[in-house]
Amino acid sequence: MTAGISRAEFVDLLQDEIGLDVGAEDLGRPFDDLSGWDSVRLLGMLVLLEKHVGRPLSLPAFLEAANLESIYEMVNR
Amino acid sequence: MGEIPIRVLSVGTALPGPPIDTAALAERFGMDHLWRQWVDTFIGTRTRHLAIDLTSGERRQDLADLGELAAAQALDRAGISAEDIDVVVLGTATPDTLMPTTVNVIADRLRIDGVPTFQLQSGCSGAVQTFDVAAALLATGRYRTALVIGGDVIAKHYDVKADLAALPPDEVVNYLLFGDGAGAAVLGTGDHPGAPVVRSVLTKLSGLDRAPGQILRWYGLADRGSDEAPASEDYKAIERLVPVLAEEVAEELLDDLGWERDRVDYLLPPQLSVTMTGKIAERLAFSSAKEISCVGETGNNGNALLFFQLDRLLPEMEASSRAIAVAIESSKWIKAGLALERDR
Repeated sequence: MTAGISRAEFVDLLQDEIGLDVGAEDLGRPFDDLSGWDSVRLLGMLVLLEKHVGRPLSLPAFLEAANLESIYEMVNR
Repeated sequence: MGEIPIRVLSVGTALPGPPIDTAALAERFGMDHLWRQWVDTFIGTRTRHLAIDLTSGERRQDLADLGELAAAQALDRAGISAEDIDVVVLGTATPDTLMPTTVNVIADRLRIDGVPTFQLQSGCSGAVQTFDVAAALLATGRYRTALVIGGDVIAKHYDVKADLAALPPDEVVNYLLFGDGAGAAVLGTGDHPGAPVVRSVLTKLSGLDRAPGQILRWYGLADRGSDEAPASEDYKAIERLVPVLAEEVAEELLDDLGWERDRVDYLLPPQLSVTMTGKIAERLAFSSAKEISCVGETGNNGNALLFFQLDRLLPEMEASSRAIAVAIESSKWIKAGLALERDR
């Protein structure tokens, strides 16, 4: 099994390192409803996630994600 | 426009150094593959030219160097010499020095003297502003031939030792979007067969109640230690507003001229980045027009952009064809546009 990230760690990363004001209950919200979300945040988040899980991630694969929950699932797949 | 037809006799351009692709930037700044993928997806600009050495940060050319080269090429292509120029107008956001103005340094090098010269402090609408000022002066009948120049050199804002990973996004984008370059055009009255006529020029401040979308600061002895970022962009406002303003410019030009949208043969859209330019061109929906863009290769070089587009347009502009150019400046929000027609 490849290294992943727990839900709690993911929320901490979003809050503390990306600066998003979100909790676990917000992961399923569409990106359009997420204040402060943009492609720059996506990039910053993937760079940090890549370090956390210790394997390369591909940005194009994450462009289809509709919300943070999808990203969480893709990273743990 | 007035009764005296004003024509674009020639265009010249100058780019510093070799093209620098995104992989070279990523390597220089130690950015990983995700960053390159992000640039490719959200910016799309493939190469840019910089007046500095990317390794050492050493400045190799300044705006006067590039402006002189572009202007000399434009004069040569028009088949005229410096003494034929009756007025010079330069647009730039990044003059080499505040005084002397760069327009006069360039004029001096070209041996242009004894004529009025003007320098506009401008951004992406600057090239159109130079056309507006020059066309107004030519329309008085006091002058016959104008040299207009536009260019930018961002060396001052390009710190090759910067840690991009630690910079806020509104500063990082400056390292990706922009490039250096200069362009020039010779505008003239009189009979010049084959040279397109300037049918309309539009420049309008549209900044009421709008915060600036782009800020470039300058510092002196007393405030040189300022903590404020020398260059920053509100990229979200730019992404939201530029397409709206671009559409307004296109509508205003078409209304002013009574032109049908599907009778326009060439569209020169705003050149922010490949991705943004593509979206705007699609929104403007000139169904019969060929898009003339340069930003994928030149990067966003501000006041020079329109000249690079015109440099591509002029050789292929056919008789009885029409072109519309749109430029939006996000500093205090300026709408700008140009309509050209080749009548024969």
